Amino acid sequence: MFRLPVRAVAGLFVFSLLLSGAQPRTLSGKAPSLMEPPDSALLVLAAASLADVLPRVAQLWTDAGGIPVRFSFDATSRLAPQTLQGVPADLFFSADQRWMDWVAERGALRDDTRVDLLGNEIVVVVPRDGGKKLLGPDDLMGPSIRHIAMAGENVPAGRYGLAALEATGVWGQVADRVVRGGNVRGALEWVALGEVEAGVVYRTDATAEERVRVAFTFAPETYPLISYPVAVLVQAPLPGTALAFLEFCQSDGATRVFQEAGFLSLRPGPTGHSEVTQLPRESGSPLLPSPWSAIRLSFLVALAATLAGFVPAVWLGWILARKDFFGKSVIATVALVPLVLPPVVTGFILLSILGTQSPVGARLAALGLPIPFTLLGAILAALTVGFPLYVVSVRNAFQAVDSSYEEVAWTLGRRPWPTFVRVTFPLALPGIAAGAVLAFARALGEFGATVVLAGNVEGSTRTIALAVYTLLESPQGREAIWVLVGASVVLSLVALLGFEALSRHQRRQMGARHGR
Amino acid sequence: MGAEAKGVLQVDFQVRLGARELEVRLDTESPAVAVFGPSGGGKSTLLRVLAGVERRARGSVRVRGRLWMDSDEGVFLPPWERRVGWVPQEYLLFPHLRVRENLSFAGATLQEVQEVGELLMVDHLLDRRPRGLSGGEQQRVALGRALLAKPRMLLLDEPFSALDRPLRSHVASRLRGYVQERGLLLLLVSHDEADAVALAQEHWLLSEGGLERVE
Repeated sequence: MFRLPVRAVAGLFVFSLLLSGAQPRTLSGKAPSLMEPPDSALLVLAAASLADVLPRVAQLWTDAGGIPVRFSFDATSRLAPQTLQGVPADLFFSADQRWMDWVAERGALRDDTRVDLLGNEIVVVVPRDGGKKLLGPDDLMGPSIRHIAMAGENVPAGRYGLAALEATGVWGQVADRVVRGGNVRGALEWVALGEVEAGVVYRTDATAEERVRVAFTFAPETYPLISYPVAVLVQAPLPGTALAFLEFCQSDGATRVFQEAGFLSLRPGPTGHSEVTQLPRESGSPLLPSPWSAIRLSFLVALAATLAGFVPAVWLGWILARKDFFGKSVIATVALVPLVLPPVVTGFILLSILGTQSPVGARLAALGLPIPFTLLGAILAALTVGFPLYVVSVRNAFQAVDSSYEEVAWTLGRRPWPTFVRVTFPLALPGIAAGAVLAFARALGEFGATVVLAGNVEGSTRTIALAVYTLLESPQGREAIWVLVGASVVLSLVALLGFEALSRHQRRQMGARHGR
Repeated sequence: MGAEAKGVLQVDFQVRLGARELEVRLDTESPAVAVFGPSGGGKSTLLRVLAGVERRARGSVRVRGRLWMDSDEGVFLPPWERRVGWVPQEYLLFPHLRVRENLSFAGATLQEVQEVGELLMVDHLLDRRPRGLSGGEQQRVALGRALLAKPRMLLLDEPFSALDRPLRSHVASRLRGYVQERGLLLLLVSHDEADAVALAQEHWLLSEGGLERVE
């Protein structure tokens, strides 16, 4: 039915690391140096797209007698602010000139050490198995291409891809086919799964993913030079060693490793502030997401998920509270799984079951209900992730209703269903409503499953969480974020206050039973 | 099977009660029976078995010749078809319904609710919610709710425990009139003999050894 190849799971793992941003991956070299204290090591902040290749270069370095190198890989947009926050890091490998400038303007770089180390290219990929034959940008306008996956418009890959599509004159035709992943990895995964017919990604990402192949490469003049600026940080504890490592990265041995991974080696040399920084022309689509659209959408998605989950949650909650049968604990456990699974994994499983390449998803799509990249997908993701809280609250609400009330109702001539309608349900209602509010609050905050299943599409799946994520990718976005942060906090607080009030109401009602 | 059915109430069952096995054998021709015994002796369980809400009991129950339960035969009359008026010890008034709605729960008319309300002196409470009532008031409302289900048999668990002395005899005598007028069966359990003397003709004692008739 749905396949989970090792490669996909591994990709997903990296993908979830990139998305969560909570635990940057840290790798360390081995060989101690004679020059430095034995426990010292370089700390390098590096763009996530370097996560495969940089440790291999560091291995060469330690083999040659260098001190160990530890890495923190994350999106450039999240690393850049960290350089200002007193992280004792030595080097910053950025994937984006704009963010590098942003850090430089704040005085955190040793400007004389800044070099453009690596280059990259924008390519179009298709699934390796059964992918369409695309010879150039014009083929993207063909009728067989329904979706084109791209990274978000504020991450470099997304911006450069947009510039290339505009410069080749196809953007106007394909704009409504574009679905945005949170990052390149997400877009690539959709291509690999066959959920989209084509993706616009970096050459290095295409090289690293064996389930896709490169259909064509955009001509270099159609988008700004893609370069990875690197510099020693002002706060570097080991500035001398840091500079030595930076020079090592430009050696013949290191260059070979970078080229094997698909990177272009740029002519090394210090760069000025804006010599290389050609901002792409950014017409066509708005750069920053609209906060009000996101707030409205979050509210709509959360409300729809809460309403859609009502009957299933009440039904399952009641079964779990009142019935005893073989396999009950299995069902109870399965219902709770989305609570503990990383939401990104939940999203991936949903995508595997309901994607248009699966039997179920294909049938739904034929009925006019496609799930991926649609509002429906966002609602489904929010519902799935919030459902365990819903069911557990409802079960607790029913358990709080003394079953003796039901027994009395039976002896008064009411059969089980009328008893449920007149006694059990009204008595449990405050607790059920509390569960609905909790599921609503969880749906408001949903991110991981949504971005995988439904993408990051302005106006139909870009909820508050995804809009904040998108804004964080952009240096200009950091002010606009506060509207969304405020809305998020207010909505969540209101929902939780509602939950508290309803829970209290139910306790009070139940407490009145023995009021003699 | 029907041939030996001569008694009004024939009960023979056993059920697990905490750590021990409760065994109850009761065969009587009296329409009004009281069962005494210490607390925790299984009196409430007896009522639950007769009401049909205790499904773990093994054995048989026959009321006026009709088989309500026979675990060997796989016979079990569900509680909503037994037409019993069960007044549990905790009253269990529906907390979300007003007194009037509690009384009419089984489908009684406004007029019937008014009559029974007057009979049990709770007609001034009809628009109140159970939460605001005293224990004695709740107990009388629960009794009224059971009467208004038009039962064939009343199952009363410590029915006057929350009433003070004068009110207790008053309610007891009104209830006796109501039961006799309609020919209802009555099974009352209590740890207080005075409760029962007023209402029941036959007295039984439930102890560790089982159920025995007492004079």
